[in-house]
Parts: sequence; C-alpha cells; structure tokens
Amino acid sequence: MNEIKNHRVINFALSFIYLGLVSFFTEHLPLPFIAMLSVLCGWNIYLTVKQKQKPNAWFANGLAAIALIIMLSSIGFKDTVVLFVAMLLLSCVFKLLQAKSKQHYQLIITLTFFSLSAVYLFSQTIFTTLVISTFYILNFAVLGLLESSHSLKLSSKQSAKIMLLAFPLAVILLLFLPKLPAFWQLPGPKMAQTGLSEQVDPFDIAKLSNSDELVFRAKFNGTPPPTPYYWRAIVHDEFDGAAWKTSSFLKQALILPAKKSTSENEAQYTVIAEPAISDWLYGLGFSSSESPNVIANTLGLLRKQQYKSKVLQYAVNSEPLSSTSLNKSQQRFYSQLTVSNNQKSQQLAQQLKNNSANADEFFNQLLSYFSKNEFSYTLTPTPMRGENTLDQFMFTNKRGFCGHYASAAAFIFRSAGIPARVVSGYLGGELNKNSDYMTIRQYDAHAWVEVYTGAGWKIFDATAVVAPERLNGSLSQSTTLNDEFKNNINFGLVSLSNYAAINWLRLELENLDYQWSSWVLGFDKDKQQDLFATLFGNKFIWLVPLGVIIILILSFTTYFIYLNRPKAATKQPPLVNEYYEIIRWANKHAISYPENATPTQTLEHISNQAPHAEQQLTAFCELFKQVRYARHPFTKERKNQAKDLIKLIKSTKQRNL
Amino acid sequence: MQHIVTTIIDDLSTVIFGKQQQIKLALACLFSEGHLLIEDLPGMGKTTLSHALAAVLGLSYQRIQFTSDLLPADIIGTNIFNNKEHSFSFHKGPIFSQVVLADEINRAGPKTQSALLEAMEEHQVTVDGDKYPLPTPFFVIATQNPLYQAGTYPLPESQLDRFLMRISLGFPPKDAEKRLLLNNQKRDYSQLPQRIEQHQLKQIQDAISNITLSSPVVDYIIELVTYTREPQTLTTSLSPRASMALAKSAKAWAYIEGRDYVLPEDVQAVFSSVCQHRLGLHSDAGDTQIAAILKHVLVPV
Repeated sequence: MNEIKNHRVINFALSFIYLGLVSFFTEHLPLPFIAMLSVLCGWNIYLTVKQKQKPNAWFANGLAAIALIIMLSSIGFKDTVVLFVAMLLLSCVFKLLQAKSKQHYQLIITLTFFSLSAVYLFSQTIFTTLVISTFYILNFAVLGLLESSHSLKLSSKQSAKIMLLAFPLAVILLLFLPKLPAFWQLPGPKMAQTGLSEQVDPFDIAKLSNSDELVFRAKFNGTPPPTPYYWRAIVHDEFDGAAWKTSSFLKQALILPAKKSTSENEAQYTVIAEPAISDWLYGLGFSSSESPNVIANTLGLLRKQQYKSKVLQYAVNSEPLSSTSLNKSQQRFYSQLTVSNNQKSQQLAQQLKNNSANADEFFNQLLSYFSKNEFSYTLTPTPMRGENTLDQFMFTNKRGFCGHYASAAAFIFRSAGIPARVVSGYLGGELNKNSDYMTIRQYDAHAWVEVYTGAGWKIFDATAVVAPERLNGSLSQSTTLNDEFKNNINFGLVSLSNYAAINWLRLELENLDYQWSSWVLGFDKDKQQDLFATLFGNKFIWLVPLGVIIILILSFTTYFIYLNRPKAATKQPPLVNEYYEIIRWANKHAISYPENATPTQTLEHISNQAPHAEQQLTAFCELFKQVRYARHPFTKERKNQAKDLIKLIKSTKQRNL
Repeated sequence: MQHIVTTIIDDLSTVIFGKQQQIKLALACLFSEGHLLIEDLPGMGKTTLSHALAAVLGLSYQRIQFTSDLLPADIIGTNIFNNKEHSFSFHKGPIFSQVVLADEINRAGPKTQSALLEAMEEHQVTVDGDKYPLPTPFFVIATQNPLYQAGTYPLPESQLDRFLMRISLGFPPKDAEKRLLLNNQKRDYSQLPQRIEQHQLKQIQDAISNITLSSPVVDYIIELVTYTREPQTLTTSLSPRASMALAKSAKAWAYIEGRDYVLPEDVQAVFSSVCQHRLGLHSDAGDTQIAAILKHVLVPV
C-alpha cells in the first residue's frame, strides 16, 4: 500500500474541482442530480477537513446504487451524451469518496481530465476555457502531489509552468494540424432549451424565454440595415388545427438551392452560430450565402450542409423580402386552409374582409384590431387547451406571446384567402457598440407572420402593436417587459443589467467572448487553408498538412525512443540482483554470514547453514563466479538457470533449514 | 602446466616445512616477474627458501652477502685496465645472473643498496657511461633482518616499492619443527632437481597475464587502495604502482590456485604481502593493520 503524504490536500483539491465542474452542468443536467453530486463533494470535503474516515465499501456501494437510480430516473435514456457525462461525473465523485491508495487517486485524476473536457460538449466560451484551464493546472498539480511531499502552491506553480510551455504547442497544433473531417461523431447533447421548434404550437408552452444562452452573433459589413431585425430560421406553412408546421412539400422546397441574387439592396454580414442540434441557420430577409458549409434555398432560408457540433461561421447577403413574387399556384398554396375549426376567428376574418378593399387594407385592419381590443403581451400566458385554442386566445384570454399572435394572425389571413405563413426565428438582438456586432440569445426567439399582399412578402407582427418596445432590440432592453423578463430568466449578468457598471462589464466580457468565437472557435478548414496560402503560397499548399503530420510523427517517435532508451547507468550487472535476493532470503531465515566476506565466501557460509538448499546455493555460487569473475557471457540458459536456482532456494521451507 | 606448479610447491615443501602459504606467495611473486623481499629473524630459513627457489626454477644464480663495507662495484662489476690490449675491459659483477640472492640487504649502506635497486628497476647496469643489459629472466630475491636488529640500514620507501612482495616466514608450527629436528639428512637445497624449463616459465608468465580480471575485482582493488589514501587512516598510502602490483599478484595467485580468473579472495590472499611494505608497516605489527583494512573495505558484489 502506497502511503500518500498529501492525502488531505489531494482530496480537497479534487473535491473542489468536481464542485466547480458540477456548476458548469447546472443548465444541462437535472437539478436532483446536480444537488446529489454537490452534496457528495461537500461530504468529501467535510470528511477531509475533519480528518474522518471515508465510508466503507459496503456503505459507499449502497449509496452508489441509490445515486444510480436517482441519475437514471432524473436523466432517462433519451439523451445518451448527457447520460454518459452524468455517469462519468458520478463514478468519479464516488471513487473519490472511497479513494485511499495512490492507484485510486491516479485513476481519478486521469478520469478528471476527461470530465474536464466533457464541459466543452456544452459550452465553449472563453470563460469556460479559462476556468477549465485553471482546473487542468490544479489537476496536474494534484498529480504531482501524489509522488512528492511538496506544497500545493509549489506543485501548482510547476503545473502552470508546464501548461504555459504547452501553450505554444497548442497554438501550432491549432494553426497547422490539418483539420480533417470527422470520421465519427458523437451525437451532440440537446442544446436548445427554448426558442425554436419544428412546429409552432404556442398553446402547450407555459413558460418561454427563460434562457440567456447565446444562439448566434452577427456582424454587419458597413452600416447596419434599419431595425427591426427579423432573423428568419424556419417557415411554417401548414395549420393542423392547433399548430403551424412545415409541410412536406415545403420541406422538399427547402432543399432546393436558391438562384444567385444580384440585388443592390443587399445587407452584408457575418454570422457566428453557436453549436446546436438543429440544422437551420439564421438570416435577415431573403438570405443567400456562399460559405461552403451553408445551403441557401428558394425561401431565402439558410441551412447547415451537415450537422456539426461546433461553432459555424458564415457570410450572408440579404435582400428585402418584398423583392420576391409568387405565381398563382404558389399563392393558392400559401392560402390553403384544411381545417374548419376556430369559427369565431373565421367570422372575424370574413368581417374584416368585407370592410377592406384589398389585402393591404385587410393587413392594416387586422393590426388595428389587435391594438384596439386590449390584447397584451406576456411571457407567462395562461395555458389553453381544447379544440378552438385560437378562438380562446382571440376572444377570451387576449394574453399571449409572439407564438399566439402569429398563429392567430396567419389563420385569419388564410381564412380571408390571403397567402400567409408563420415564420419563426429571432427578433432583434443586443448591439455591442464597441465591436459593432449583434448578440442574439435564446430569449430573443420570436414568431411572426409573412403575408403576401401582391407586392412581395410583408411582415405582419402583431407583437409590434401590442408591445412595440419588443421590436427595437432585445427583450432585456425593453422596459415594460423588463420585470417580467427578469423574473423569468435564470440568474445571470443579464438580470443585473440595470447597473451601469455591471452592464458595461457584461458587454466587455461578451465582446471578449465574441473575439474568442470568431478567432479561435471559428478557425475552421477554410480559414486554415487561407492561412496556409498566405504563408506558403498556393503552389505547394497540399505539402503543408503532410509536412506537419510527418514532423509530428517524427518528433513523437523520437521522443518515444528517447524515453525508452536503454538506461545503462542504473542497470545492475548480471546476477547481482539475484545475489541480493539470496542475501535477503538468508536474512529472512536468520542465516548469519560474516559482514566483510567476499560474495563467494558469503554464499558458502549460507549454503553451510542451509543443508536443504546447499546444492542450489553451491550451483549458484559457481554460476556467479563464472559470470561475474570469469566473464563468461550471461546467456539465456545461464539466466534461466539462475532464475530456477533462485526459485528453488526461495521455496526451501524454514523447517528444512 | 598446472602439475609443474604443484610439483614445485611439493619440492619446496620438503625443504621448508609447514610454510606452504609463503612458498606459494614467493612463487606467485616470481611468476609475475617481480622481485621478492623476505624479511625475518636470522635462522628462520630465508636463505634456504631463496636458494631452493632458484634451484627448482633452474636458473643461474649468484649469492651476494651484503655487509656494511660492500661497495656498488662489488655487485655490478668494474672496468679493469687490460695491460695487453691497453684498454679498460668490463669485468661483470655477481649481479649478471638470472637470480640474485641478496642476503641481508639492509646490512649494506645506502649507496650499495641503490646500485642494486637501479638494476632491479632498469634491468640493466651502467658503468662509466656504458650500458650492460642484465640476463632475462632477472629476479632479485633479497632477505633482510628486522629493522630493530643491530647494524642495519633500513631501505627507503621508494626502494621498498621496487619489490613486488615482501614475505616473512615466521616460526614453524610445532610438528614441522619436530620433523625438522628428526630429519637426519643434511638439507641440501642445491640437490633439488630442476623442475621447470625456461620456455615453460615463459609460458606460465604468459598464461598469468591472460588471466581474466573482471570489473568487480578491479573495483575491489580500487576500493582498497582508495581506502589507504583517505586522510588519517595511514601514514603512507598506496600508489598506482601498488594497485598494479596487486592486480598482477592476484592473477598469479589465481593461476597457482588453478583458476583462469581472479576472485576477490585472491586479492585478499596477496594483499598483505604486496602492500605491507609499501605502507611502511613492519611485518609483525603490520598484520593487524592489514587485517583491519581488509575488514573495513567491503567486497563489491
């Protein structure tokens, strides 16, 4: 059993790391599980500080079984990635609670490197990177403490030095290691908590916009277009009586690549999208992009070419929606309504249609209907159930959020025979003035209606009249909804944005994170190609990755050979270890021999006192003389003979001596 | 070859009773082409041993009795004017033989001693600028009385160093002395048969130089000499010549023991004879100190 000198410090540091790690998973793992892990870490710290015994194996195993049940019941089997991460964390924390020997701690420290890296599945911000790097340093320091009696401070210093030394290597690897497409990919953990979904069914969502998670950032080239910004992501064209969906017909249309547009009215900007499970991307108006990982389609929407669990950066050109036109069959397609419920709403549509001469007038009448009839915007609507949910909303509740207004409005437009579709995406975003880019978070998710009035698509957003502040920026900046919004959102820097200093700090930090995303996380294959081209020219560009790989292989092989080189200095000459083995054996059996005798004399003395091993001892003595003094080669046979003799000598029983 | 060595030892044992160890040491010294110094009280058989050695090895020998009035020319020889040829011709002294028995060497004055010692080191003598090589092999077997005896000039350390070994015979065991007294025959060492040819001696010497000296044994020799060089252990320390002498003698001892490799035991066996006189120790009191060194220096494995 290996005694560890810094037992307490190691225990404390590892528990601390796991407490810190758990705090990163609060948004992704269920609360009971998080609470359980924290309690286990806290317990371990308590035991360490109070210098109490760790729980015995039976107790700990029983506890682990209970913990496993809690884990499985709270997480379930749906999201395997989250489940595996949870299992890793749980096993490490339990192992720590039981760890006693050096081997245990070595195992935990090794697993901790994996646990630390697992955080990157969920978050890749610069803040995460800084904290995780600190934990890495601490983990390395703990690893060093296993073998020494240094203080944690000294060990951490050494460990930080190693990390700093590794930093240039990391930069070189990032810049020059060829970025190959992944052969195998982990299914990404389910990212979005709220925000967009394939279908807009607002009536079964009771709570919305409680996440300040980053969705994407956008940076305009030149002057930004006028507000409001409707970032389109999904078009829903089919109403099934309760929810708006994307019809299979439209899904096929979504795959069709768009024609190149050459409008002068374009807005140009770059989007950095955070990793997400979904394949849709974001753009203003009718968007097109020439970035290789992005497909633009005939609806002016952008999609990922292939699913990737990492930051995606792409350039977009957008032109106003009004520039598109529909033919007759397309108009029919967007005004069809296959259900006949929500009679009251249909009557309202007829009534408004009778009062208006054309589609534009209908558009305005509906807007004024929403503004005059005491509709209000709320993030915590009353849940509505049953057949005619739209009618309930339009005529009874009159409280709701974007999804309600969009569903109802699109239904009314279609009831009046006007082509309309629900679009979901994000509205607004927060402009970071220092770096001139927009930050769009999950709570900016929005749904609105696009109406075809004969001269291109027009955006109909009832929210604009119900809660006009919502249009001019992020939810966090609108004043009337602010309190409600803050009650809703998880505690974060955003919720403290009333204080100028904190708000400034928040914006600065976001700016830093933006730079991180665009330069480090967004450094992809294309950027690498550009870098190679500028550094080495286009001609031999294919040589660079090859060279890098060869250099890496060569240097690692050299290092490996260097590590495994024969160590002549420390190796004992042949038979010396075996000789000492016999001496130890003799000491164990209380066989005496003169202190200053020569090895051969010593062996003789020993053999005289051990009659049952005499023959072997004499044989060994002869072998020893041959190899050690007569310099006969230490052949394999002699080696085996020595091994056999030692075995025979050692197997001689005490009573036979 | 081995049987010759055994025969020689047996033959010598018929002359010197009960002193097998000393006989073997003396033989080891001569086999490794070293000069031998025998120190003991008068009447212990020093001269007998040296004569017997020369006789058994079948070498031409001269005996020189050292006295206080002996001059260098008496040993080396001198240029004598030849009246007929009107020139000086060199008249060789008794040193021009294969074995020189220098009896009671410490009774001569320093000048005479050095004349002999120069010949021992250089294997040649110089008279009036002319060099005269000595025959090969060339051994000096010197005897000396213990220093506390009257009328002795002690050999300086530098000259003692020229002798590979110094042995002392010591009193014979009781039964050996009894045999000596009961033996009616006159002990005539000159009647001892020659047991070895010159080319055989050469072969033995070659064989000895080919004996394996492995690194643990070398380590042991170095440990031993290093120990004597540490301050405050001894007044004199062992020179590299001493360690070379130790290695050479140990090889010869191993050969006499019938092995073709050296054991640390061989080093221990010759250590006293090779090193005692180099450390400035007297034969009787020195034994305990030599034993202490051997006890103190552990044998490397």
